[in-house]
Amino acid sequence: MADKPIQGEKRMFMTGNEVCAYAALAANVDVMYGYPITPQNEIMHYWTRLAPKHNRTFLQTEDEISAGFTTCGGVMSGKRCFTATAGPGNTLMQEAMSMAEMMRIPAVFIIQQRGGPSTATVIYSQQEVTMTCFGANGEGLRVVYSTSSHQELFDYTIKSFNVAWKYRFPTFVLGDGYQAKMRESVTIYDPEARGIQMVDTYPLVGLPGMPGVDRDPAHLRNTYNTEEELYEVVKDLVDAYEKMAPEIVEHSTMECDDADVVILCHGIVSRAAIEAVRNLRAAGVKAGFFRPITLRPFAKDALRPIAEKAKKLLIVESSQGQFAKIVTDALYGLTTPMETIFKPGLGITSDEIVNKVKAMI
Amino acid sequence: MTLVDLDVVEPFYTLRPIKRELEAKGMTVIAWETRDTMGLGEAGTLIRGDMLWSLHREGDIVLDIGYGVEGSKTLNLLHGVGEQKDLRINAVINASRPMTASVDDIIEHVRALGRVDALINNTHLADETDIALIREGARLVSEAAQVLNLPVEATAADEKFRGSLTEDDVLGQPIRFLTRYMPRTFW
Repeated sequence: MADKPIQGEKRMFMTGNEVCAYAALAANVDVMYGYPITPQNEIMHYWTRLAPKHNRTFLQTEDEISAGFTTCGGVMSGKRCFTATAGPGNTLMQEAMSMAEMMRIPAVFIIQQRGGPSTATVIYSQQEVTMTCFGANGEGLRVVYSTSSHQELFDYTIKSFNVAWKYRFPTFVLGDGYQAKMRESVTIYDPEARGIQMVDTYPLVGLPGMPGVDRDPAHLRNTYNTEEELYEVVKDLVDAYEKMAPEIVEHSTMECDDADVVILCHGIVSRAAIEAVRNLRAAGVKAGFFRPITLRPFAKDALRPIAEKAKKLLIVESSQGQFAKIVTDALYGLTTPMETIFKPGLGITSDEIVNKVKAMI
Repeated sequence: MTLVDLDVVEPFYTLRPIKRELEAKGMTVIAWETRDTMGLGEAGTLIRGDMLWSLHREGDIVLDIGYGVEGSKTLNLLHGVGEQKDLRINAVINASRPMTASVDDIIEHVRALGRVDALINNTHLADETDIALIREGARLVSEAAQVLNLPVEATAADEKFRGSLTEDDVLGQPIRFLTRYMPRTFW
């Protein structure tokens, strides 16, 4: 057995993609399946350099359709597996992700968002929110963590494997090209050193004993015969998802208690928003900040009282309202005025947010 | 002084937000501008003629060739790289990077690069850097350099350490104090 890839914990200076590869190693992942696409390539690059040293495996597939399904297959064999992709690759993987929802396959997907539609840019956007949360045919029965820093990329990549295997829903780490490529300091650690136990994995197929005699059949299905049969299955899936939701939903807030304007954003845009709130508060403007960490499930119960109390809301995102759709759905019925900064595929600075908030009050 | 962006690993990305700022300081910057490119980073990496011939320029020429083995191969594309007796290839080592965090890792990394003439210790954690960290980096890089039979050209450190960091802290290595422009590049 090779040494643990990370002994204890240490402070390092890394790219976000590098962080994801190390987090997967630390989480005791067995296999990464993948097909290259910018801006996630270095997750594969680092994994392929590190994996042989630690008895882990990598399979490059012929495309993202295959990468998604081989990840599901690896998981079904009882291995802790993941893949990483972006943009058009995320599009191609949706069928496998949908199958993972239906068959409760605990696969983990790391998405580093790039510009869209289509090939667009390789650099940055928040335009994969709708697709990552609700892509493919189905009901969006996924867990989606939207990270804002390298530390969160490390923490939530590890957490994703445990949430996926504990609750048996496909789980996503939603980063972006900025997080993927930029370098910053991060504490990487052995989960055990922090008291985090990795949830045991187990095979979903090929179980010992005769099905129907020694045990119930595993009976993993994604095909059903009648509308009524499917309806029962989907209702059960939705019930299981809704039962899980309160246990895993996460958000963070800043200065919301007396805020006249609450800024709503997610992912890396939160960093600009936090800076904006600090600057606005220093200038005597009562601004606050709400950020869902899980986009699916969404922290609706936490947001509604804050939104109701605020005088105005400002939604800020690097897409044309994909995040706003989730927010407005959660806030249906409230009448708090809402304004937006939508910059699809473009970064957002704290100054822009500050100026917008000042114009709103 | 001419700065040449030959970074084909992260093509076009890193210099473009500050290209004009550097030029305003009197440097010649040979790098793409966003308006001159198409399919940034995805549609193939284009090396211009003035990049290929950059070693034939007068004065000091600094080539940024990106990171890792693939980055170092870029040098082979330059005209005159074999004959240019003044060319010096420095491997910049940050011991806070996981792949170069130990003496053995630094040795493995540098050996994979091909020709390297000297090492530079640039161990840092961005704004969290302290003198103890720079010292430890100097020790690791120095030990690796001995095994590799290479000189340590210098230790690089943020300008804010001028006055507090001395050559005694870094095993007598010359110190190059750096003004950091990259935090101002948006991404």
